Amino acid sequence: MLKHAAIAALLAAPALAEETEFVIPEGVTLEEGLAAWDRIYEVTSHPRCSNCHVGADNVPMWSGPSYGDTARPHGMNINAGDSRVGAEYVQCSTCHAYREFAPADTTPHAAPQVAADWRLAPVEAEWFGKASREICTQLRDPARNGGRGFEDIAVHLGHDVILHWAWNPGPGRQPAPYSLEEHTQDVLIWGAAGMPCEGDS
Amino acid sequence: MKLTVNDTEHEVDVDPAMPLLWVLRDELGITGPKYGCGIAQCGACTVHIDGQAVRSCQVAIGDLVGDVTTIEGLGTPDLRHAVQEAWIEGQVAQCGYCQSGQIMQAASLLETNPAPTDDDIDRAMSGNLCRCGTYPRIRAAIHSAAAKLQEG
Repeated sequence: MLKHAAIAALLAAPALAEETEFVIPEGVTLEEGLAAWDRIYEVTSHPRCSNCHVGADNVPMWSGPSYGDTARPHGMNINAGDSRVGAEYVQCSTCHAYREFAPADTTPHAAPQVAADWRLAPVEAEWFGKASREICTQLRDPARNGGRGFEDIAVHLGHDVILHWAWNPGPGRQPAPYSLEEHTQDVLIWGAAGMPCEGDS
Repeated sequence: MKLTVNDTEHEVDVDPAMPLLWVLRDELGITGPKYGCGIAQCGACTVHIDGQAVRSCQVAIGDLVGDVTTIEGLGTPDLRHAVQEAWIEGQVAQCGYCQSGQIMQAASLLETNPAPTDDDIDRAMSGNLCRCGTYPRIRAAIHSAAAKLQEG
């Protein structure tokens, strides 16, 4: 039994308002919710995502299969500063330029580019090296997830073009697991189950 | 399409995917920005777009928003920018290929951080490679330029 819910997602400019249709599953069991979370954790802990979800040192990481066996900080001594966009030193967008016209990421070893200003995720959303329960409790905590319910997280997944890049990172880079659509569906399943985390009492 | 470089408006008829660096060098004959790697790994092509340091090999001309300043527009032989002045005083350059990008990156840093520490400089300048290894002189010149700018 499925309930169809339409969620209006208002973007910054009213003229760009759009409606995103989600199917929020009903009757999801706790086990199904936890299984969905396990898949979500595979995504959030994957280097393609966690490399930019780093902590208060503001240093993006170069880790994962594309970078050999050893996790290491972003080359060139890059530090995104407290601004998380590099304003204090080198702006992320100095190299990760805003790009619409040219086909992005067809050149090996070039800086990834999307039609948005490149940046680190907010420091509250530190995922790099974090355990499943740590990320899970962060993602369901409105004080640390941008004030979002699970439907809002799903909407955010539909809009943020930097995270879309994680599933289309270009040659030589391993994409995030599953697909954006599957990941969004898992967030809805997890949310419908009450956003459970391992170890909840 | 139109673009403004060093306060002069230009019109070029090129593929919107052409990198800004190609437009500057091959279409407009502005050859201060250098081609080093083409993939944002070296910094030799650094210019300013509305004051922000940007690798011009990474910006498609169709995506360009803002006014471009190259090393030719930062200062003139008669009225040099403080960073250019410090570069000459410290005789920073060896072969000189990277210095246009180095100077543009350094000038951008001093706009946002008028009194950078060694760590600040190392963080801001590490994306600009110098094959000759003039890094100690680059760092010293940036401190010197910062002092000049502070004096006004």
